[in-house]
Order: sequence, then C-alpha cells, then structure tokens
Amino acid sequence: MKLSVSQPQLAHGLGIVTRAVSPRSTLPVLNNILLATDEGRLRLSATNLELGITKWIGAQIQEEGSITIPARIFSDLIGALPGNTVDLTLNTRTQTLNIHCGTSNFDIKGIDAQEFPPMPVPDLQNGVELNISDFKEMIQQVSFAASTDEARPVLQGVMMEIGNNEITLAATDGFRISVKKTSLSTPVSAPVKVIIPARSLSELARIATNGDETISMVVPEGRGQAIFHLKDAELVSQLIDGKFPDYNAIIPRSFKTNTTITTVEFQKACRQAEIIARESNNVIRMHIQPQEQGPGIVEFSTQSEERGSGEVVLEANIDGPELLIAFNVSYLLNVLDVISTPNTILATNADNTPGLIRPVGDESYLHVIMPMHLG
Amino acid sequence: MRYRKILHIDLDAFFCSVEELLNPDLKGVVFAVGGSPDSRGVVSTCSYAARKLGIHSAMPMKTALLKVPGLKIVYGHYKKYQFYSEQVMEILCDTTPLVEQISIDEAFLDVTDMPQKGAAIAAALQKRIRDETALPCSIGIASNKLVAKIATNIAKSSYHGDQTPRAILEVPAGKEAEFLAPLPIKELWGIGKKGVPQFIKMGYTTIGDLAKTPDGILEKQIGQFASTLKKRAAGMDDRPVGNEEDIKSISNETTFGKDIDDEVEIERTLRQLSEKVAYRLRQQGLSGKTIRLKIRWPDFETHTRQLSFPQPTNHDTVIYQSILRLLHEIWKPGMKVRLLGVAVATLTTTLQQLSILDTRYQKEDQLLQAMDDIKKRFGKKMIKRGWDVQDDPE
Repeated sequence: MKLSVSQPQLAHGLGIVTRAVSPRSTLPVLNNILLATDEGRLRLSATNLELGITKWIGAQIQEEGSITIPARIFSDLIGALPGNTVDLTLNTRTQTLNIHCGTSNFDIKGIDAQEFPPMPVPDLQNGVELNISDFKEMIQQVSFAASTDEARPVLQGVMMEIGNNEITLAATDGFRISVKKTSLSTPVSAPVKVIIPARSLSELARIATNGDETISMVVPEGRGQAIFHLKDAELVSQLIDGKFPDYNAIIPRSFKTNTTITTVEFQKACRQAEIIARESNNVIRMHIQPQEQGPGIVEFSTQSEERGSGEVVLEANIDGPELLIAFNVSYLLNVLDVISTPNTILATNADNTPGLIRPVGDESYLHVIMPMHLG
Repeated sequence: MRYRKILHIDLDAFFCSVEELLNPDLKGVVFAVGGSPDSRGVVSTCSYAARKLGIHSAMPMKTALLKVPGLKIVYGHYKKYQFYSEQVMEILCDTTPLVEQISIDEAFLDVTDMPQKGAAIAAALQKRIRDETALPCSIGIASNKLVAKIATNIAKSSYHGDQTPRAILEVPAGKEAEFLAPLPIKELWGIGKKGVPQFIKMGYTTIGDLAKTPDGILEKQIGQFASTLKKRAAGMDDRPVGNEEDIKSISNETTFGKDIDDEVEIERTLRQLSEKVAYRLRQQGLSGKTIRLKIRWPDFETHTRQLSFPQPTNHDTVIYQSILRLLHEIWKPGMKVRLLGVAVATLTTTLQQLSILDTRYQKEDQLLQAMDDIKKRFGKKMIKRGWDVQDDPE
C-alpha cells in the first residue's frame, strides 16, 4: 500500500471513525483503525462490534493494500503533523506503516488487516431514503430521552418504526418519552420496526453534516444490524433485541390544564431556576395560575436548604384550573432545547400524572414528562 | 483549652411532685403514679417515700402492690405534667438560648458564655424553678453533656431521704475521668441493663476499668463500638447542646390488654399501625427511607428490627409489607407479644421523580390521596380498605 492524502482530511476522517474504537477492548485489533485503499479512495474503519464507522477520503493511490494501525497513536500523530500532504507506505513484510509528512518520518507497527472484522456491505437497492437534515432533527429531538442505565438495554435504544410513508422515532428512560414523526419523500417497500442504540444515532447525527444529502438506511434480514450509508461514510449499528414499552398506551390523550408559554421565556425561567435546583435533586415547582382577566401566570420556584431559594414569574395563556406541579428541571431544559417553535404548550392533569410538552403549531413532535412527587 | 459549662437539669420525681402540687395531702404519702393493677398498668413514677420501700418505675403495678400493700395509686394527670414542664422549660430558655430538652422533665443547658460559676448558676436556677413553679429539681454540672448527666444521676441516687433530693453536683473541668473511674459501668451511656452482666463477665466492673483497657482489646471483645465507649469512659463528649432535628421519625405503637400470639391479630395490628404512621407522614408532607418494627415480649424485653429503601415512601402498603418481613424475622408462631410498634425514620420532604412505565405507585398514590381527603372531611373511620371491613366485626 502506498498513497498520499491531505493531512486535514485524514485528521478529520480519523476524528469521525475513532468514536467507534472501544478503549478497553480485549481484542487487540479492535483498538486499531483499518486503512484500506478502496476504488481510488482511502477507507478508514473502526468498530467496537456494536457500532462500526467507515469514512472514505480522497487519496492518490500508487499501490493498493490495507493494514490496521493503533487508533490512538495514529490519530494523535496525524493530528500533530503540519497541514501538508501525508505519504503512507506499508512495508507488508513487517506490517509497519511509514508516515512521511514534510520533514517528519515515522514508522508505526500495525496488525494484519485480515484480522479486522469484516464490515457488512449494504444492499442499497432496498434502502430507505432519509433526508439528512430532517433525520438529524428527529434524532436530536428523541435520543436524549433514552436511558443511560445499562441494566435496561431496551431503554437505551430508540424505537424506529417505518410504514405508511412515515417514520417514527421514540425513546423513553422510564421518566419521559419523546416521539417524533416525519413523512418520507419516497415510499418504502416493507415496514421496519427496530430498536437502535441511541448512542449509534447520536454518532450518525454527528457524521451527517451535509444537510443536502440523503441517508440510505438498510436493515438486512436476520442480521440484527442497521446500516446507514452516506456518500462518503457508513455507520453500522447492532440492533437491540427486546420488547420496547408500548409508549402509545402511556401517552395521555386528554388534559385539564393547557398552558401556553413563550419557548424562550420558558427556557430562561428554567435556566435560572436550575442554578438553585441542581443543589436539591433538580426539583422545580411550577404554580400554574389562571386569572379572571387577562393572561394567567406561571410561578417557577426552587429551593435548596443549603443554597437558598428563588422564583421566576411568567405570563402564560392558561386554559383550565390552577395546578401546582413539580418537575426535574434538567428534563424540562432537555426538551425545551429541541423545540424550535416560538411557543410551547404544557398540558397537565394532576401533580402526580404525566404532563405533555409540545411545540405549538407542530404536530409532529411530542414529549411526555412525569412530574416529581413526594415519594 | 477552653472548657464548656454544661448543666443537666432533671426534675425530681416529676409526676409525683406535680401530683403533690395538685393535692397537698399526698405529701409524705407512699404513692405511685401509673396504671391500674387490674389491667397491665405499670408504675410511671413514685414518691421518694415509695422508692425507699423498693418501688421503682416500670414495675408492674400488681408487683408494686404485693410489695407495698398500702401503696396509694394515683392516675396520672398528663395534661398538667405537660403544662408544668412547659413552665420549667420557659425558665430554662430565659436563662440561655442554648437549651436542649431531652424529655418532659430533663434538659441540657450550655452556659459557657455566662460569667458566673457553674455551681452558682445551678443554685440560682434551682431556686428560681422552686420559687416560680414550686417544683424540685437536681442539676449536674460538667464540661460536657455525658458527664453532666451522669453527675445528676449520681447526685440523685446518693440521696436517701423521703423528700426530694434537690441535689447539685459539679464535676470540675479536667476531672471528668477521675470522677467516672470509680462508678459502676451501668452509669455509662450505651451499655444498657442487658449489657452490664456481659461487661462484668469480661472483667469491667467500673467505668475506670473500661477507660484503662489497652487499645485493641475492647475492640476484639465488642467490635466497632469500642472506641466510642472508651471515649465516653474517659469522660470525653463533644456533642453540642442544641435542638436536635425537628422530627426524626414518626411512630405508633399498641400495648395489648392481654399478650397475644394470634398471627392474624398481630398482622392486623401491624397493618393498622402502618396505616396510621403513613397517614401522619402524608399529613405532614413527609416520607421516609427507614422502616422500623418494635416488638416487646411479655417479659418486657424489647427488640427493634429495621430496613431501609433507596427511595423514601409514605404508602401504607409499602410500609406494611416491610413490617411483615421484619416481623417474620423475629417472631415465630406461638410467641406471645405484649407490644407492637411501627416507625418510619430518615424522613425527607424531597420530591422524587415518578416513573412513567411503572404506574402502580401513582395509582396507589391517587387512591391514598382520595382516602385521606375523605378521612379529613368526614372522620378517620369513614373509609377503610376492603380487608379491614372483612376483619371488622362492626
């Protein structure tokens, strides 16, 4: 293998694929990145067996070949090189990669590319076409609600359902649920229902930077994998096996009090309250008070025995009876951060039943959030 | 090093002294305040004249009457005791803000910042209480709470007259260990009645014996508690005088008219106690992480068992289920029980995140809210769980 690549492109590509390198793998080759010439481009791949990422970058190839190189050493080294052309030459006999850039010259020992787990090749004919900017927004609006608790693997995933020319993503950590639906521009041949690790989707959102492109998603039959193909990158994720909670049954359908608040104001009130609330279990209380005349008010209050207390009062359109309800303020901030409409509705019933938050004028997204209550 | 000046004040034969105020004819009479000898009454307190004849508190009234057939029994006027106790505590709070009331008739005072000598403050306080309430008291003075309380006990127990002791005893600062050394180990906090014979068996008769054991030996004999106990034996105690946390636990208990061994009745009693405790928790906006069972056998031996949850609770059923688990760790069919108690401790007002997937909790919560609401409006007996209706003969 003998080729030349631009240092900034190589460094960028390594920044993407190294996210799939597992730092504590017992299999030495999984600590490495695969470098392989591939139809006039250089392919970089890394995998931790649950998540695999491939990135292709432009290269001038003089001799085909492949090798795996320790991820940490290689990416640190490339990052430290000047922004010139980097020449990579493999000594196949010693499996050592020579890296030459300007006046710098390094030899790094690798492991035979044959030992690297093969990455699946997707059959793009059966793929589902997804618009990148739409899909990225979906991921951002949903994946934060997934659990980080390893004891409940199913909840670490995002439920993806495709059918009727519509795609739905849903996630829940047991305390809140995020659901986003979007219509598909091209119809699908067969419905899809899979649980994808939230972590994989977050990585996908990070890789997919060009909003004009499309992503092709392929779920090969019986493989337990989903493959997301972009023009110059690919992500393979293991699917999570298990029964996802029937979230549709949990979403409340009717509410007693509907409170409409300016999204930015709502966010600001939470940001302020959070400074005190983070000292006391993140609890903030919202006192929703309709008024006879004019708009109602919502009083956000927070209290920490050690630090002090605070109140923020906002005007709001309130339809329904008064209510005092407590929420985890970081949960509120998480959802408000992904709402882009000017106004947000908080729909509630009681201080111990789920509330629903959604953007006003956008029926495609909803978030259900459980209040905090005296245990 | 600056020594503190701590007073421990204890009203002498408090209930009896109040009864004598209410009825001056009782002066000098051999009498006891307590329950009826027909049922399960015990002596709450008795006059010094009765003490001389061998009567002591917690003695079953039946036994007391056998011992002193002429013993006059006075049924307690508990509201009056409360009233007099408050009068005394007011005087104490007027002396210093650093008052820690430890029971109806006992308190600690930190008078370090007062210029007078400890003994002078004690004498003035004793006189003022006498003048304003006509109640006698004894006072122990020392550089810490532990020694001050022991000083009061020693001062009172060395009195052998048939009036009240009205004693004052000061342990000079720096002489704590010396004062404790000759005292029998039963005087030390943390050993307890049951512990005394064990300690004597191990060779510790006096507090001094404990204080001078070389490091490590007591640890081997009694474990972790050794270092605390050795400190105490040396007269060391740095706990401040102050109001303890407002509420530490909420509890309810029942003493049976007749010892019972019927499992159904025991469980029903525990369920009712659990419900009472849970209701009180909810009314005060509290929930707790520790559930505690108290059980007393017919011979008065009392045991407690407890368990803790990561999440606090104030639900009847959660408390009751835990109490049942604890019961079966300690009680076996056929064992007779005299008293049962349920307590919830490690209390908090902190809100907890509710789960959206496991809604059993919320359902129970809604049910309890509705029941509490009815109880508050129409009385506690207006609504019951189905199982209580079946059990209840009414």
